[in-house]
Amino acid sequence: MTVARPLVLPWPRLVGPLLAILLAAPIACGDAEAETDGDGLGVGEGDVARGAALYRELCAACHGLAGEGGLGTPLAGWSRPEDELIHIIDETMPPQNTAVCTGACPADVAAYILGGLGGASCEGEPTSPRQLRLLTRREYNNTVRDLLFPAPLSEGAPCKADAECDLSSESCVADLCAADPCGRHTFVFDPEGASYQSVHVAGSFNNWAGTIAEGGWPLTYDAAAGVYYAKQELAEGSYTYKLVLDESTWITDPQNPNTEPDGFGGENSLLEIACDGGGAGGGPPGFEPASSFPVESRPKGYGYDNNAAAGIVTAVHVEEQLRAAREVATLALENLDALVPCDPAADAEGCARDFVTTFGRRAFRRPLSPAEVDKYAGLVIGEASFDAGVSVALQVMLASPYFLYRSEIGEDAGDGTIALTPYEVASALSYAFWGTMPDDALLDAAESGLLGSAEGIESEARRLLEDPRARALIGVFGSQWLGVEGIAGADKSAVAFPEWEPAIGAAMAEETRLLVEHAIFEGGGFDELLSADYTFVNGPLAAFYGIAGVEGDAFVQAPLPGERAGILGQGALLASFAHSDQSSPVRRGVMVRERLLCQQFGTPPPAAGGVPDVDPNATTRERFRQHSADQSCALCHTFIDELGFGFERFDGIGRYRESENGQAIDASGDLSDVEGMGSGTHAPFGTIPELAAILAGSQAVHTCFSRQVFRFTMGYLETPADLCALQGIDQRFAAAGYDVRELLVAIVTSPNFLRRR
Amino acid sequence: MNDRDLRPSSLLRQRRALERRAAGFGRRRLLQGLGLAAIAGPFLNLALRGRPAAAAAGKAQRVIFFYFPDGVVGQSQDGDPSQWHASGSESDFSLSPILDVLAPRKADCLFFNGLSMGPADSGSHPGGAKKLLTAVDGGFGESIDQVLARTVGADAPYRHLYLGAMANQNNASGDKHISYPSAGVTITPEDDPRKAFELLFGNGGGGGGGGGAPDPTKVTVIDGVLGDMEAMRSQLGDLEKSKLDLHLEALREVEKRIKAGPTGTCDDPAVDLDAIGDDLYDPGHFPAILRAQTDLLVQAMACGLSRVGVLQSSNHTSELIMSRFPGTEMYDPNYDMRSHQASHYGSKHDPQKREYSDYLKQRRWWVEQYLYLLDQLAARPDGDGTMLDSSLVLLCTEVCDGNTHLHDDMPLVLGGRGGGAVSPGRLLSYGGDRHAGLLCAIGQAMGADLQGFGDTNTPALGGVLS
Repeated sequence: MTVARPLVLPWPRLVGPLLAILLAAPIACGDAEAETDGDGLGVGEGDVARGAALYRELCAACHGLAGEGGLGTPLAGWSRPEDELIHIIDETMPPQNTAVCTGACPADVAAYILGGLGGASCEGEPTSPRQLRLLTRREYNNTVRDLLFPAPLSEGAPCKADAECDLSSESCVADLCAADPCGRHTFVFDPEGASYQSVHVAGSFNNWAGTIAEGGWPLTYDAAAGVYYAKQELAEGSYTYKLVLDESTWITDPQNPNTEPDGFGGENSLLEIACDGGGAGGGPPGFEPASSFPVESRPKGYGYDNNAAAGIVTAVHVEEQLRAAREVATLALENLDALVPCDPAADAEGCARDFVTTFGRRAFRRPLSPAEVDKYAGLVIGEASFDAGVSVALQVMLASPYFLYRSEIGEDAGDGTIALTPYEVASALSYAFWGTMPDDALLDAAESGLLGSAEGIESEARRLLEDPRARALIGVFGSQWLGVEGIAGADKSAVAFPEWEPAIGAAMAEETRLLVEHAIFEGGGFDELLSADYTFVNGPLAAFYGIAGVEGDAFVQAPLPGERAGILGQGALLASFAHSDQSSPVRRGVMVRERLLCQQFGTPPPAAGGVPDVDPNATTRERFRQHSADQSCALCHTFIDELGFGFERFDGIGRYRESENGQAIDASGDLSDVEGMGSGTHAPFGTIPELAAILAGSQAVHTCFSRQVFRFTMGYLETPADLCALQGIDQRFAAAGYDVRELLVAIVTSPNFLRRR
Repeated sequence: MNDRDLRPSSLLRQRRALERRAAGFGRRRLLQGLGLAAIAGPFLNLALRGRPAAAAAGKAQRVIFFYFPDGVVGQSQDGDPSQWHASGSESDFSLSPILDVLAPRKADCLFFNGLSMGPADSGSHPGGAKKLLTAVDGGFGESIDQVLARTVGADAPYRHLYLGAMANQNNASGDKHISYPSAGVTITPEDDPRKAFELLFGNGGGGGGGGGAPDPTKVTVIDGVLGDMEAMRSQLGDLEKSKLDLHLEALREVEKRIKAGPTGTCDDPAVDLDAIGDDLYDPGHFPAILRAQTDLLVQAMACGLSRVGVLQSSNHTSELIMSRFPGTEMYDPNYDMRSHQASHYGSKHDPQKREYSDYLKQRRWWVEQYLYLLDQLAARPDGDGTMLDSSLVLLCTEVCDGNTHLHDDMPLVLGGRGGGAVSPGRLLSYGGDRHAGLLCAIGQAMGADLQGFGDTNTPALGGVLS
């Protein structure tokens, strides 16, 4: 009986496709003998499509997505016979684990390599697939909000101070009155002519601070309005508080009728904040009818929720879609007049046709065909009442495939290519920039033909970028790109990290979102994401990081301590790429390689070790030393661990530390091979800001970022056929000084965005 | 790539035949056909209409795939013997330190040695998960549960029930899920027992109480949606055909439920939804969540709501902290032992090593959950026997030994008699035969017209079917 052992290999750079190493066949778990070469395919039998998927998963990490080479030999232009190539793959590839490519795999991969690796010349055909893209849960919620419950248009009265607006519900932003987002509460105190040295709020949210110095929230006096006031961001929940006059007289809030006993015979004011993070927008607070739809499937290597191929509808989806449509229709009917701008009593059928024509154009994001108008008008007038008919028509529209999918099918452009229709372009733009349906202006631009030219598209794109929804979507992209979406619910060990609480995780997620939005929209663009020497914190998070001078729950911009910089110094990132009870050099190293440099790793070999035990006498670096000592591990871990060790001054919840288990931490790292695994460079660093500077100076990190944005925008993982278009996008990104807004404009004006194969 | 092209042609033919005769199967007729009115049990208060008919002799009424992550204690890298596999002859065999948990149900289970998933990706968790139910390398094929759902399971109110316990944690990527409705595409399970309950037993679901005629508004709405779907399909022709075909099938399934009306199959199950807590991804809640999902699935099947179920516990390379399961022998609030971490116990079976001893405990715990599922089925009468007698329940995970990750000698147990299709209580030993043959046999036991399964088109494994 033979036994599986780790494969001992020479240094990986020597492993080229011609290096024939005889490897022991994988051996069965238990007594059964493994098949070795039972069902392989021969010359001409390989399947190119399967080969493409296998190549991406198993080969591209070393040989390059387009076969350009790297850690492995270049394969583009391979000219030796097919049978030889099949044999080499079968016997030697991938080098750390040949068992993963047997059976039909070698012939499939060979067929793909010899078929040109899917590449396209820069003069070639368009490369993007014609596809239907199912709205994600987030897109569905946004779309329903904008379709049926748009935020009332702010009058936007000019102002110079909050007090010139409706103080209790608006703030003066950029000299215009704007509605306060949910969660921003205004405390107002009318002194009724009296004068005080100070007025502050003390309550369950700030530890009942008796003085402003201890953290009480000061109310400022506005002479024009004659009141003291303060606006404060509050998380959802219920709070008790009192107003404190001159830091000595505690009173309940005269403007707040809600109180509860304070336990000492008196009363506290009671405040309920409920908004479910809904932010601006109409509809009931927190109405997100798609949040209970099945979660999106994310294919390996595609980190976003909007993969087009994975967006399929099961019966569970249908049930949920119908339920959501019923709920939405019920709510929408509460305000029927806003929906139906005509009088059904005068002319029911005419009114029905008006309604479905107008509303349908927004729901389907294109004009309805005459047959569709007939159908939907028939639904409206086919019910017992007009209201019931509108409800039915709404429900059908919201569960219709024309609503649920956004079409990127295109039509024959007359010159032999397929081009997206103007209305498809409008949707593609609005979902790319806002994650929601087009507004009327964009639909009108489609109708008028404005979206038929690159200039027209670019001008609309720049308009969309000015909307707050563009900022919000960049924040969503950032948290998916960096993989920090789940940090608020992370399972941190109460023993290892008793200081951890979900509120800190939630604050970290907000911090990352704010940093990404700020760096991209107000800061210096992509490079500032890496190098920012500031961040956004609230009081508890500032205390967690050791940043002085920030109190309360509102997020403010604050300088970062010198050991942190940009996204790499974010607690959300450091705690997400860690274990429940310890840091993780491996996860952090892989995070940088895969998410920031787009360098993928193959499947770990059999018998890869697990996470070494926490050892009270050793540092993490010492525990992971086996990876570099064992050559089969070193094949990949040499690229991972030396990089990940550089994060060791941050523990498993993202706190700074200088020692571990009483021993000084050696946080020296090496970002080797930054431009591609196998390129052989070394870049040692001692701190996160140094690592950020190395990355900011690399080509690969910028190219990778444009790939990431391309994926999120297009809904698929780029293929070799996209590389040519991506070169053009990369050039515009670079020429714009890595301004991410310009990258987005470059993507949506590239031929790949507008044309289909 | 057109996913549908990769399906075996026999399935394509079968599918078209089914589509042709899709209409006309009322739900009441189905329930009569399944013979469910006789069901009763401590948690049931059934109000079934119609009279039971005898279950089809020799056919399984339902199948459940019970998945747990990260393999078992198989033969170690250094050759220590497997702690999973049973040993002995077909009729005279002893269980193992892990399978011993199943001793009370030894006579109700088929045990397997020597079944392989083939060499491709052997050594990999994701590679194994992709092949586990598809028997196609890389997951480029439809999984057996989906094949059965759209063939022999298509007449049930719910063709397919896919329930999970923390199976979507951390935005799990596609290869972490095991059900493939088309080549290379996975779907995500429902991780929330409350939502599963609402779907199956709430007002909108097939198990909703009451009785009476179909809701006319719902009928109008689904007809309207179907009209748009047909229009879109004819506009697009072959474009996105696979996606729209799946969508249409889903609409047809829901249409059938709506048009059958709320027939009131059974009352709410006695599932402890309070025990699962608020945080669906708190490992301390995992046992209660898995139990609730198990109870819901059993109850839904007892009510005749579905014939095909998949229960997915966590997902491969699982970060599930099993040392936080309260009241278990693994419990240790002072130490976080994750499933995948324990699976890398080292090159030998070393009881002194914490990873190893915890891994052994964890694997036994998974088998205990499987035993609970079998016991629940056995507690409910069905026809002349119990639901376990008329069911098949496959216990499976994506690799053999958790440290070597190989795909041979796969840990599989098939519980139930499948309505007489299977004679359990035996140990079947093979010499590396493909597990595709077992999946094919399960399909045949369910009445599917499968001649072979997987990319090897493996016929039904000898010895499984009576």
